[in-house]
Parts: sequence; C-alpha cells; structure tokens
Amino acid sequence: MTDKIDWCATRIRLDRRQMISGIAAFSALAGAPFRQAFGQEGGRKQIPIPGGDFAPVPIAIPNFAAGTPGDAEVGVGVTQVITNNLKRSGLFAPIDQSAYLEKTVNIDAAPNFNNWKSINAQALVTGRMTRQGNGRVKAEFRLWDVNTGQQLAGQQYDTSAEYWRRIAHIISDQIYERMTGEKGYFDTRVVFVDESGSAQHRVKRLALMDQDGANVRYLTRGADLVLTPRFSPSTQEITYMEFGQGDPRVYLLNIETGQREIVGNFPGMSFSPRFSPDGQRIIMSLQQGGNSNLFVMDLRSKAMTRLTDTPAIDTSPSYAPDGSQLCFESDRGGKPQIYVMPATGGQAQRISFGDGTYSTPVWSPRGDYIAFTKQGGGQFAIGIMKTDGSGERILTSGFHNEGPTFAPNGRVVMFFRDPGGNSGPSLFTVDVSGRNELRVPTPGFASDPAWSPLLS
Amino acid sequence: MKVKVDKTLAASIALHVLVIGWGLVSFSTRAFVMPEEDTVDVDVISSDQLSHAMAGQKDGKKENPKPLVEKVADAKPVDDAVGKIDDKKAPVVTETAPPPTPKVEEKPEKKPDPPKKVENKPKEEPKPVEKKPDPVKPDPIAEAIKKEEKKPPPKPVQQAAKPPPEQKPKERVFDESKIAALLDKRDPTRASITGATLNSNAALGTAKGKSADNSATWGAMFRQQVERCWKNKPYGSLEEQRTQVVIDIDLKRDGTLARMPVPETTPSTPYMRVYQESALRAIIACQPYNLPAGWFDEWKAFAPVFKENNT
Repeated sequence: MTDKIDWCATRIRLDRRQMISGIAAFSALAGAPFRQAFGQEGGRKQIPIPGGDFAPVPIAIPNFAAGTPGDAEVGVGVTQVITNNLKRSGLFAPIDQSAYLEKTVNIDAAPNFNNWKSINAQALVTGRMTRQGNGRVKAEFRLWDVNTGQQLAGQQYDTSAEYWRRIAHIISDQIYERMTGEKGYFDTRVVFVDESGSAQHRVKRLALMDQDGANVRYLTRGADLVLTPRFSPSTQEITYMEFGQGDPRVYLLNIETGQREIVGNFPGMSFSPRFSPDGQRIIMSLQQGGNSNLFVMDLRSKAMTRLTDTPAIDTSPSYAPDGSQLCFESDRGGKPQIYVMPATGGQAQRISFGDGTYSTPVWSPRGDYIAFTKQGGGQFAIGIMKTDGSGERILTSGFHNEGPTFAPNGRVVMFFRDPGGNSGPSLFTVDVSGRNELRVPTPGFASDPAWSPLLS
Repeated sequence: MKVKVDKTLAASIALHVLVIGWGLVSFSTRAFVMPEEDTVDVDVISSDQLSHAMAGQKDGKKENPKPLVEKVADAKPVDDAVGKIDDKKAPVVTETAPPPTPKVEEKPEKKPDPPKKVENKPKEEPKPVEKKPDPVKPDPIAEAIKKEEKKPPPKPVQQAAKPPPEQKPKERVFDESKIAALLDKRDPTRASITGATLNSNAALGTAKGKSADNSATWGAMFRQQVERCWKNKPYGSLEEQRTQVVIDIDLKRDGTLARMPVPETTPSTPYMRVYQESALRAIIACQPYNLPAGWFDEWKAFAPVFKENNT
C-alpha cells in the first residue's frame, strides 16, 4: 500500500516540475496521460546496474531473551543452533556476539538500529523463549532489515520443550527463506550408513540425524551390511538395500515404528531403490542373469512394472520432481553413463558425454540439475549437469567421492568422501555453485547419505 | 711531520658539503606536496553505450522554437542549411537550360543535380538582368546567351546554356564515360540564414535529447558507487536469468537520498522480493553519491535498473 502512495507522490512532483518549466498546467490527476504523452520526458531515466556481487549477509543474532528466569539456557541454545545453521549455509555471516553493543534485545520493541548499523549488520534477529504452564515452550522471533528498519518476518511457535532444536531449525528456515527468496533446508534429517570397527571388520549400521549432525539415532543393529538408504517424500519411511543371509534385497523401514519389510519377493538381487516423488512407488534394479533392469513397484498393489529390457546393467534410477521422467545409469553404450527416459519407460536418451564414467545420478528436487559421481583419471568427482546433459560442473574431486544427495531446496549437495588408507569415509556438503564445502559432523565414519524432505 | 693537505681535495670536500648542505636545507624546507585533485571516475564504455549517448532523438520535444539565424538582416529562411556560406552576392537560382520542349530526354545528362543553385560571379551583372525580366520565354534567353557566348567569363552559365545555341540536339550523345565532366564540381554554397536576432543553435533536436544527455558518464559513476554496496544479492536461483528490478530514486544536491527509494513494481516471487531488497539496501548503504554537480538536473531523479549480467 505504501508503494502506491509513494508512486502517486512521484507523479505529482513531476507535474509540478513540468508546470514550472511552463509547458502546461496539468492537474495532478492527469498523471498517467501526461507520462504517456511525453514518453521519456515524463519517465525517469533508467541507468542499468548489471552485475552486483555475492557476499554472505552479515547478520546479528543476539541471544533469545528468557521469558522466565529458567529459560535463559534454551534461549542461548536456540540462538547457537540458528547461528550455526546460517553460518554453514555459506549465505550468511553471523557477527560474533562479542561485537554487539546490546547483548539482549527486547522483542516487543523496535530495535535501536544504529547500534546494529555500527557493527555493519544488515539483518537482525530478535527472539524470546518462554516456558508455558503445561511444560511446553513458546518461541517468538522477529527478523529485521537494519538499513530500512523494516520487519521482514515474525513468527511464534509453541512446542514441547524437548523439541527446541527443531524450533531453532524452523526459525533458521524462516530467516533463510526470507533473506534468500528460496526454501530453507534446516528442518531436515539425513539418513546415512554409520561405519565403525576396523577396515577388515567394518560394522555398518543405518543411522539418522538432524542435518547439522545432532540427534544421531541408529536404525539397524549392524549384523548385516546395509547400503543406499533413501528417504521417502513422506519422511516416515526409508528404503535401502541390505545383504542378509542370501541375496541383497531392498527393504522398507518405518523410522517411527521400526517396522521393516522386504520390497517384493524376487529371485536374484534387488538393489538401488528410490521412492517416486509421490511416495507411492519404489523404483529399483532387479538382477536378471548377468544384467539388471529397472522395475517400479506400486507399494499398495505390489504390482511390478518393467521399465527397461536391455542386455546391460541399468541401475541407480532417480525420478524428476514432477515424476514425468527419470534418470539412471547404464552401461549399454560400453561403459556406465547417465540416461534420461520417460517415467513410463520408452526411449532412453544418453546425456553424459564427458571423459570417464558417470554413475549414481540424482535428480534435484528443484528440477534443474542432475548430480552424479564421475570416475576418471584415478579420481572420483561429484558434479552436476543440467537435465539435458549440458553445463557439467564438477563440485569436488579427489581419491574417492561418491553418493550425492540433494538438500530439499536443491541448493546444497551432500556426499561422502573417503581419503583412502586406514581412514574411513565422512560426509560433506557443498553448494551447487561449488562453494562452501563443509564436513558434516558424525560420530564415526559415515557414507551413503540421503537427505530427507523438509519435516514441516 | 706535518701532513700535507691537498688543497684541491679540501676545496672539493668543502664545496660538496656546501652544496649538499644547501640542498638538504632548501629541499627539506619546501615540503613536496602534490596539489590535491578531485578524483575523476573514468569508465570504459562500449561503442553501443557511446552511440546511445550520442544518438539524437527524433521525437524529442521541440524546445527551441527560434530558427537558426546566422546574420542579422531581414528574415529570409533557407530551406536547406547545407553548404558553405557565400554572402558575396545573393544566390541566384537560374533556370538552367530553358526548357525547349524537344530536348526533354537530354535534360538529365545536363542537369544531374536538378535543384542546382548557381552562383553568379560579380562580373556577370548584365545576365541576371536580362534573364529576370522574362525567364519564362526560352527564346530571348537563348539569344542573349548566344551573345554572351562570345564573351568568355561566365563559365557556369556557359556550360548550362551552351546547348541551346548550338541547336544540334540530335548530335548530342550521352556518353556515360564522360558523365563526370558534366557534373558541377563546385562546393554547394548558400546564403546566410538571416533573422532579427542571432541564434547559433540549430533547432534540430533539443537540449533534452539524448545527444545532450550525459547519463553515460554520471550513470557510470553512480553504478560504480552503488555496486560497491550491492554485495548481498541472492544467487543461484532458477529465476536468476530473468531478474530485473527498477527503483526510482531522488537525490539531493549533496548526493544523499531525498526520500526512500521506491521500487517501480511489486515483486511477484520471494526471490524477486529479496533481489529488490538487496538493491534497496545497496542504494541506501552507499549514499551519499558523488556525481557531477553540473548534471544535477539529470540525476536528481532517475531509475537505476538492477539486473543480472547475462540479461
């Protein structure tokens, strides 16, 4: 609404200027025809400002105020989680609290922006945690633009006290979304294969954690080898491959109830499963002699549909976010490359043409890129390419990097890296631009990460 | 034993000490101060930008209704102000080649430049007098020219009027190879444009046209300054390719904002909103702007367009 008013004011002023120059006596109401009649004369000269630059946004996050004396600790905790999230995103530069002129800020009043301008903050987060009578906790926050003095976002949440970390993640997402214009990814979890023990007797367990490495939970006991866990879009289920007593099989695991089942009952191996975007189907590879083909199974009707029938190894299928297409890896051309085909089967189009081999393709939830592992010249690289195969960009390269998975907003890729030797793999994240590579803290060695969709 | 001092050496040393000492004192007393100069922003602009800045504006508002006047005299407008001014004598436009009907086909070769304005030399006073009374009738002129033909001086007329006396139209052949010889090689001349008051401003275009617009310069200065602060634009979005934000800003003479900048459109997506805010932040953070004071009328109100490099 204010935009409207200012806009009118502009016209009135322009008219006055023209009248002074003795052109004509237009009334203020004649603004629009006036502007049209004189074209450039009435309009403003436009000066192109191409480019601009990217630098992390300096943001100040003073400790959340305590609603009651007992809430100081959780207030500090929430602030730390938000600060850590935003810092790790690479898009924000949280200012050290020791530089603040005010240590705590009242959320109910407009802040004194000069105190924050002077430390070069561009955004300011104020908040408060208050314990309620029923054991729940109320979280409030406001996000301010320091330069314009405007409130950009403000929310309050009510949750049980033990979920304070999730509240911090949700607030982080709000800040991220408001400041970058894109969905956040902090209120998410990552399932991965936790590895412990010596290189000869490696114990592999499925584990679940928050995207920042907190709240690790083990989902399997480690008696059997587990590989390639994948999140369902409904976030309650995980599909993965496990070497049991016989052939490796695809399993479905409910992470809330712990219930687990084999997906289908086929002779031979079934592997590299992944959910369809609607969560209703699982696509996977089935072994058929020396070859493997892609099949999709409807989880309700248990009906199987064959998608490929080639004398080659077709594996690692991944759906486009709209479910219309899928990408997969196949050696039908001689060595492993990435192909794209309609989700109903049909003609597959090869999209990877660089040197080396391409494997483990993953379609971005945003739809713009396909991430892959590229092997060549004794190196394993993680890269992305557009869905037509153009614009290949290597994000990281080294002795062994593998298993890319996208954050739900498609801006960050997580993968695992094994430095070789007696060491073991660990998880890393990198921006799709190739910037901001960071190690994800895990209790031990970790591989095969899979990022969940946003929980809320 | 007495040490013998070389007098020349002593003199040399003394002299050196003197000179160096004098140098030290005299140079050091005058501090070497560079006169402070205002920094001048230099911006390399492309040929496109240059031609844009230099382009005239055909549909510009006529701001200067006064016609061009080069000489104070009775107003005598000139249709086409092209050519050297030659005011020795008012130009006389002769009806070259009085039109005898049979020669119609030949005219083009003789008159490659139809609106020929021929300037008579002072010597030829009689001719215009003879001509003017009755320029319509071909015959008297032809006769007059015949007479004149025997007198050599009036060259141009001679050339133009030659054919009639010869009266051999059928022998004349159009020779393409000699067409150059038939052309009038004199520079075009014209009389001054006269009027009541002198006005050296040719009325084509206006001061507000692009030709007089120095936005390439002050615009570049503004861009350099605002780009320093435009560091927090979002990047990597799918919408990035078509992002463009226009913001109206009003500046005061000291280069500070006269009011809060106003975006011309309301953003349609969260990304556009953030992009717009990053531009607003940059504009606010980078003031005051150091722009050339002479162009204040131009930069007091304008609209920077923040956009991606690739659009």
